[in-house]
Amino acid sequence: MNPQIAYESVQQTLRILIPELIVLAAGVAMMTASPFFRWPRRTWCAIGAGALTAALLALLAVSGLQTDMYAAVALNDSLGFYGRLVVLLSGLILLALAHDEPADDTAGEFFGAFLMINAGAMLVMTANELVFLFVGLELVSMPTYMLLYLSRRTSTTQETATKYFYLSIFSSGLLLYGLAFLYGVAGVSNLKALATLSWHLPSIPHPQLGLVAVVFVLAGLCFRVAAVPFHFYAPDVYQGSPTVLAALLSWVPKGVGFVAMVRALTAVISVKGPDDPLVQKAVMISWVVAAATMILGNTLALLQNNLKRLLAYSAIAHAGYLMIGVTVAFANGPKSGYVYYGCESIFFYLVAYALMTLGAFGVIIGLRTAGRDVETVEDLAGLGFTQPLPALALAICLLSLSGIPPLAGFWGKFEIFASAFAASLGDNSGPFILLAVIGVLNAAVGAYYYLRIVVTMYLRPARQTVVPRGGWPVALAVGACASLSLILGLFPGPIVRASRAAALAAVDHSPPSRPQVIVRSGPSPSHSTKIPWVQN
Amino acid sequence: MATLLAITVLLPLLGSLVLILAPRLDRSAARNIALGCTLATMAFSLILLASFRTGVLTPQFAFEPQAGTYGLRWLARPDIRFAFGLDGLSLWLFLLTALLMITAVMSSWEAISERAPLYYAFLLALETGLLGLFASLDVVLFYIFFEFTLIPLFFLIGLWGGPERQRASIMFFLYTLAGSLLTLLGVIALVVVHYRYSPANVLTFSIPELTRGLATLPWPRWHEVGSWSSPQVLIFLLLLAGFAIKVPMFPFHTWLPLAHVEAPTAGSIILAGVLLKVGSYGLLRFNMGMTPLGAVSLFPLLATLAVIGIIYGALVALAQTDMKRLVAYSSVSHMGFVVLGMFALNSTGLDGSVIQMVNHGLTTGALFACVGVLYERYHTREMSEVGGIWNRLPILAFFFILSALGSAALPGLNGFVGEFPILVGMFSESRRAAVLGGTGMILGACYLLWMILKVVFGPLREPAADHEHAGDGNDHAAVRPVGWHEIAGLAPLMALIVLIGVVPGPFLDRIRPSSGEIDKNLQSQRGSSTVAVATTTIPLPNITAAPRNALKAPQGKRR
Repeated sequence: MNPQIAYESVQQTLRILIPELIVLAAGVAMMTASPFFRWPRRTWCAIGAGALTAALLALLAVSGLQTDMYAAVALNDSLGFYGRLVVLLSGLILLALAHDEPADDTAGEFFGAFLMINAGAMLVMTANELVFLFVGLELVSMPTYMLLYLSRRTSTTQETATKYFYLSIFSSGLLLYGLAFLYGVAGVSNLKALATLSWHLPSIPHPQLGLVAVVFVLAGLCFRVAAVPFHFYAPDVYQGSPTVLAALLSWVPKGVGFVAMVRALTAVISVKGPDDPLVQKAVMISWVVAAATMILGNTLALLQNNLKRLLAYSAIAHAGYLMIGVTVAFANGPKSGYVYYGCESIFFYLVAYALMTLGAFGVIIGLRTAGRDVETVEDLAGLGFTQPLPALALAICLLSLSGIPPLAGFWGKFEIFASAFAASLGDNSGPFILLAVIGVLNAAVGAYYYLRIVVTMYLRPARQTVVPRGGWPVALAVGACASLSLILGLFPGPIVRASRAAALAAVDHSPPSRPQVIVRSGPSPSHSTKIPWVQN
Repeated sequence: MATLLAITVLLPLLGSLVLILAPRLDRSAARNIALGCTLATMAFSLILLASFRTGVLTPQFAFEPQAGTYGLRWLARPDIRFAFGLDGLSLWLFLLTALLMITAVMSSWEAISERAPLYYAFLLALETGLLGLFASLDVVLFYIFFEFTLIPLFFLIGLWGGPERQRASIMFFLYTLAGSLLTLLGVIALVVVHYRYSPANVLTFSIPELTRGLATLPWPRWHEVGSWSSPQVLIFLLLLAGFAIKVPMFPFHTWLPLAHVEAPTAGSIILAGVLLKVGSYGLLRFNMGMTPLGAVSLFPLLATLAVIGIIYGALVALAQTDMKRLVAYSSVSHMGFVVLGMFALNSTGLDGSVIQMVNHGLTTGALFACVGVLYERYHTREMSEVGGIWNRLPILAFFFILSALGSAALPGLNGFVGEFPILVGMFSESRRAAVLGGTGMILGACYLLWMILKVVFGPLREPAADHEHAGDGNDHAAVRPVGWHEIAGLAPLMALIVLIGVVPGPFLDRIRPSSGEIDKNLQSQRGSSTVAVATTTIPLPNITAAPRNALKAPQGKRR
């Protein structure tokens, strides 16, 4: 690579990273300024919202720009673009939910750290480089520790923060170890280059070394998405931390973790095709993780009475459904002209999940009873008739979480199960079908605990007065989540198209100017022509 | 006409939104809006019926039928379409829904006073769900409506039901949801199999296209018979999971008595009248239509379960003292006939099965409405406490007797038109099953006439007025006579019970092209099927299949 090209590449990369830079700069500025200015939290929140909006505009402005996929550390492909869009919009929702949370004296740090988390999440969406990916993930984690410490200084919060801190550091270590192996198998750290190399050269990645990489990367990321066996922190941390942070933890690390899995693992490994032993092992591992996560999350959620713990186990269960998508994505090799992609279903599900889980947490944030927060399922008794609108929003989100049509969650489950049915390892589609069956049985179990809350809200008499709080920003955020869950359930088209485009971009590793001879049984370009709706 | 069909389906939903959003409606305004909506829907449905062409196989009133694919590109992908249409299988069920909804509104007229606007809103939303379900020509659209019906019914039972309403509504919701999720997998499997093995790799979610395409799929394993692991059998079982619970078939019926008894009268009418038909309609449309060889392979098992359901339902019904519970168990028994007719695997049985769905909807809907009328006056459903109402409420008594006789399959009334062909059809396939099923008819006559005897005839017995209702019902001379709305709700059902019994021709004529197509498909696939392992006719002891070549006989007998 000559200096001229390198310079251009850096320039392009910086240009497409403008949105991240805006958010990051605002975050750093807020943190620095915080000790010197004693502004009310509302002001800090407004600055944060302004930064996110500015980043949103910048993102739209750079939407057409592309970088060279073998040179750049960041990509502005469909996955990068739509991913960042989702992060920014959900960031605004989270900001609205959090606007009243911190004390005035720590508000600057709080919202600064919050912006950094968003910047990190956006970096992961674009990452095309192992180190860059890791930086993005850490930029999500580290401010999270701070947020956990910054909130109320009680012994439970301290315990929660410490617990999360140590486990997260541990998982980052695992991840880094795995990434090192992933680098070691081919000697390149560019993910698209890695994918292309492993497609062309049968010896890359080396089966044993590749397996070590898969196991450790998966383990490190499983912590972030709260998948078995790295899930156990979730219920305690969610319960011990303020509800806003529980909402943040249930969405941001999960979305980031799954996109990282797609970027670093499935898109790289799956190009070997379903007959490769490494692919088969990867499928097997994620199969087990998916099944165990779903079963454990749903079963334990049945026993919960505390709303935050319940939603924590529900978050684990949803990580399990998403792991079905990962399992399928591992098997979606270049020659499989599948109708549904694993990553496509992951992306769709993530959007639906963000809406419904943030909406559910938002309602809990927005209600208060007898001088304390709403904590248990019983606190919601009779809510359907004392506070009809919040109850309706919560009901929509919960029904969406349980996958009832016509809500967004239904289409998420539909995409996941459809992709599982369309997948196969060679001629063997049995494991995927079995996984889908386990998935629906779990969805049926899951419906019970969501329904329990709905029943409590609508079919039980009210016990105590529950009053709304949080003002219009929380109401607006919750309303947006609930109504979008419904609207996207009725018209899922835009999200389907976007996740389709993102999935194609994620597995795409052929340079545009590639000579035709090399494209033998070509991956994305040639099999995308077999997909009926791409032309439509 | 396509637009009219879509309007008919969505009109109740519009009414439902009006009821929810309009501020402070009182009870009479709410019920008037609901009545207006259901009447308009019925009127539109009648227009559709009038313009339905007899003897046509293809779905009618569909969007873009010339362009090859039905429906509008409106949903998620170009392939999942907003496609409505009616054919012989769905036409009568569509009309039945529109009709029973009027009865449901009428029977709620006085009974519902709490939160009436919300109640009617859920009722109308349920109507849209059911109409849309029967009219759907797209599997995913079908599934959406299929699941959507759970939500309004859940609230109808849970908010306006009897004392055990919470348990009933939760059980109903979860039970049916668990099954229907497996059905969703079956539907996805059908689409994927069709995509993967059809000659041009067509991805379609359209019911007519899938039915056609799957029948001629160039994949040898698809046409295997007799092996438990053949694809058609596996998909058949997945599909069956949801539908068998909805019908309900024998071991899956446990949610039904509870839900029926606890539901408000209108809920019971819709639940028994229409919602159970959703299960049998799904069985016909998907299981019989798309995986007929699964039906052939599993025929002994399913016919056994149907017969057990018939007899078990009837025996349990005999033991009931609560009228509503009795009618609920009679549904288990009668729906057993519907399933039995399907698995007769010939056109006689299929015709009987389709018409029996409508019959059961009419008679059981009417019976539940009658019980509801009684309950409103006496606040009890115990047969030992009420008797001789012929002397008090003669009109109701007449309705009660007529619907019970229709349900008991008295020749000349509608039940006979359904159950007789079912048994004839079954006879040619398995004599033992037909004979055992026939005992269900006898037992049916027993428990229904028993109920009539106790409640309608004999000396007048009325419960001592309880103190709660002392104000309005202390003096039994003041028992409210049957009101105009109750008559208006029941009279059309009575007319149809007689009409179908006397002139079934026009009804069957519209069903036959579609049921005949299922039969043709079934026989042709059966003829060309490859037997997986030569000896495996599934070894179930109860029913020995009659020689397959006896199939020609009933076809000759049919007309």
